[in-house]
Amino acid sequence: MSLSRDNFRLAYRSLKASKARSALTMLGIVIGVLAVILVVCVGQGLKQQIAGQLGRYGRNVLTVTPGVSNMSGFSMITGISGSSSTLLTGSDLHTIENTRGVAEAVPLATASGSVTGDHTVSSPFIVATNANFPDIINESFSSGGFFDSDDNSRTVVLGANIAQKLFNNNAPLGESLTWRGQQFLVAGVYNFFNAPPFSVEANFDNAIFVPYSTAQQVSGNTLGIYQILARSNNIADTPQVVTAVHSALVASHGGSDDVTVTRASDNNGISDPTIHLLTMLVAGAAVIALVVGGVGIMDVMLVSVTERMQEIGLRKAIGATNRQIMRQFVAEAFVLSTLGALTGVVLAAAGVGLLRVYTSIQAVLVWQVIVFTPIVAIAIGVFFGSMPALKAARKDPIEALRYE
Amino acid sequence: MSLIELKDVSKLYGFGDATSVALDEVNLAIEQGECVAVMGPSGSGKSTLMNIIGLLDRPTHGDYRLNTQKVSRLSANQRARYRRDRIGFIFQSFNLLTRLTALDNVALPLLYKGLSMGKRNRKAWDMLERVGLGDRAYYHPRQLSGGQAQSVAIARALVNDPQLIIADEPTGNLDSNSSRLVMELLSEIHKTGNTVIFVTHNPELTRYATRVVYMQDGAVKYDEQTKLGQVGRYARQVMYAVPETTEEDDLAGVSAIMPVLDKRAAAEKAKRTRLAKRRKTARNRKASTK
Repeated sequence: MSLSRDNFRLAYRSLKASKARSALTMLGIVIGVLAVILVVCVGQGLKQQIAGQLGRYGRNVLTVTPGVSNMSGFSMITGISGSSSTLLTGSDLHTIENTRGVAEAVPLATASGSVTGDHTVSSPFIVATNANFPDIINESFSSGGFFDSDDNSRTVVLGANIAQKLFNNNAPLGESLTWRGQQFLVAGVYNFFNAPPFSVEANFDNAIFVPYSTAQQVSGNTLGIYQILARSNNIADTPQVVTAVHSALVASHGGSDDVTVTRASDNNGISDPTIHLLTMLVAGAAVIALVVGGVGIMDVMLVSVTERMQEIGLRKAIGATNRQIMRQFVAEAFVLSTLGALTGVVLAAAGVGLLRVYTSIQAVLVWQVIVFTPIVAIAIGVFFGSMPALKAARKDPIEALRYE
Repeated sequence: MSLIELKDVSKLYGFGDATSVALDEVNLAIEQGECVAVMGPSGSGKSTLMNIIGLLDRPTHGDYRLNTQKVSRLSANQRARYRRDRIGFIFQSFNLLTRLTALDNVALPLLYKGLSMGKRNRKAWDMLERVGLGDRAYYHPRQLSGGQAQSVAIARALVNDPQLIIADEPTGNLDSNSSRLVMELLSEIHKTGNTVIFVTHNPELTRYATRVVYMQDGAVKYDEQTKLGQVGRYARQVMYAVPETTEEDDLAGVSAIMPVLDKRAAAEKAKRTRLAKRRKTARNRKASTK
């Protein structure tokens, strides 16, 4: 079915004749397109941010986590994992450190207990790790540095947020704080981490870093390690090191395969399902909005057909065929949904821009979505619009002429 | 051969007991170049006849040949194409599209013929000039008087060079001056060789016709040739025998001849006047809501 320029001119004119109604009809499509594009662009932005962050680990870093990685997006969101989540232990750390090809290993464990500096924070995020931490996670300090490898040192390093909470705006460097009755010296304070707002890793800006061995002594040997980061000697050997570390751990666990070893740089597998599922969910809702927009078009077109019954009758009387009437109304639906879709795209692009400028969500324009969403929207609009068009086309000219 | 040949054409509405006969085996032949006035009381089947002749409707039974071609069984789209190429319609309520200018209204049939915009506008312009509205081309229907609006409708009916012009009460909504203007236009069209069929309630207007067909109860009751400028003989009888009051009659002072009518006719006339008044107020209301 070809739509001629005349059809579009007619459609444009009749839509202009009832501006408010046309605008309201378009609104459904506008919102649908806007929502779909924004959601996908924000989702994609988050994915890239996380990928970028994982990239910062370097290509020779491996991560070791307890449990088997059968993590679906579902379990990522609900926290219901298929495997039991026993944590890693200090002996696992030794096993990894002693595996051939591993240069160094960094444990990440959480500890509990309130901390008091100038102020008290009752349940801070305490990360027990070792002195190799800055080798793998490379972030800048606002003052001081990381603690050194002295096993029993009573020193801590603060994230930017927690430093402010504990010590207001005073420079905390060299101040001491109390955790579980022990005095700790602040050896360094981080700048804000170069991390995205949502992150697979916990927000280290709120973290108090304590030496792993010290934390174990203070809290009494019960610290489970939720992740071990390790660095291989060279990039080329990393895949073999991954296998070696895995088999060493399985061997030390008496043959049970209950750990996951991955190369951090291809670790998108952990983050993607979550973001992906979320994106899909919200985009699904947005698609529903789009369909509702289509129904809105159908509604308005039905009203329009009824309102213009006499016009249809006249057009048929002077020689319009069913198909020509149909085309006219389909053209109207097409113009409506096209204008709506284009408005949606423009607003979405503006929205992405505003998000980038005013929030830390680094949304990106995904051209596939920008191209295909309007096409789908237009298809939906035309589909729903063609039903009233068919109704109009099939009207008996005499009845239509007589219609009041 | 005749331009129009109706053979035993019937039109029924409804089913079973509720069937009503709008046309009852009508036989009618109209030659190229005739100007036919169709008269008859409301419900006599005039409009149904017009719809069938104008290919807006199909007969239930019978044969209709237009230009010797059998058209009574054509599909809706085939009929649409015939209407587009051969027939021009003029309606009582003008039926102009209010959103379009006079020019666009006139050009409308050409749009469905698939002409380019330039050609459409040129032809439409010529037609508007022909009906004397060249200076109103860009007016919208609302800005035109009734007579002007009907003239635009006539230009629209003519723009396709149709063989046949069908006018269903073209002066029904017009005052007598505008009526004259419109009828003069129609008769001019007739003089250039077109076949014109018009429905009217006003016997005076049969002066413009070469033939008067009078219908009653779905059948042709009288059919006579008249000279241009003369009121049809039967039409005149009809005028008195079955009083039919329209606005035009009221203006002409039909009430003045009341005493010559017998009692029964007077009673019927009173009834018809009441009906007509009701119709008129309804029409006025409709006009004012428009």
